[in-house]
Amino acid sequence: MRPIAKPGRARPLFGPMPGPTPAPTPVDAKRESFEREALVHLDALYRVARRLTGNSADADDLVQETILKAYRAWDQYEQGTNAKGWLLTILRNAFINEYRRRVRHPETVDIDAIEPFAVFDRVQDDDPQGKFFDRIVDDEVLRAVDQLPESFRETVVLSDVEGMSYQDVAKILGVPVGTVKSRLFRGRQLLQKQLYDYAVTNGYIKRKDG
Amino acid sequence: MKCRECLEHLYEFLDREITPELEQEVREHIEGCEPCAGTAEFETLYLKFVQASCRAQGVPPELKRRILHELFGE
Repeated sequence: MRPIAKPGRARPLFGPMPGPTPAPTPVDAKRESFEREALVHLDALYRVARRLTGNSADADDLVQETILKAYRAWDQYEQGTNAKGWLLTILRNAFINEYRRRVRHPETVDIDAIEPFAVFDRVQDDDPQGKFFDRIVDDEVLRAVDQLPESFRETVVLSDVEGMSYQDVAKILGVPVGTVKSRLFRGRQLLQKQLYDYAVTNGYIKRKDG
Repeated sequence: MKCRECLEHLYEFLDREITPELEQEVREHIEGCEPCAGTAEFETLYLKFVQASCRAQGVPPELKRRILHELFGE
């Protein structure tokens, strides 16, 4: 994000030369560091909020609330550390506490009950490079992500879309790293299967039984 | 390393979330195993695709304006 230009300090045409620039006030310094470290993640916060809430009105509110909370708590954040992880933790907690009950019902998923499905096995002869993916438009991919069960969806979004490390994802979600790994394994398979089925339905690729 | 183990650790390998020892084992296996190399390539392309598709979305300009106004009164 581009920092907002501060109003220029008008230099007097006559009179004494201006003295040295005054030291920035604490408010200026807070704002400057918040813009530099927090507001650059606005797109990421919005994307995650959108996938968690499932609609844009709640996503708007959730992002706004997250930013205001973060700004109020900014002195608790240790500058130069992981602002994105810190912000996403605030966002995810706010979602759990205030939105989830209202907008979505968390479903419990038995990971082992999900049938393993390796898309590569189906496409390796006809399309080993997964060219069919490129014919699927962004909105369709987002729709497929939205159809994942919540625990897989949030794990996949944090890791695969936002590029957070296993450790960061585990911290944000409050689960062990091993859980992140198994959710990613199944979540990626589920999403691949969705995209594969969509590509088959639309004739981008021929169905093949594995 | 066998194919089964390689595939088990493939995501950790691709995500660079793997111990150096396992990293080397997976790498060596993939270098000598065409099917696993194919899977690795496919998964890499898939992960890139998903990230690019989902990152096309960003914060709506109107929301950004509202937030800046709330924060700084501008």
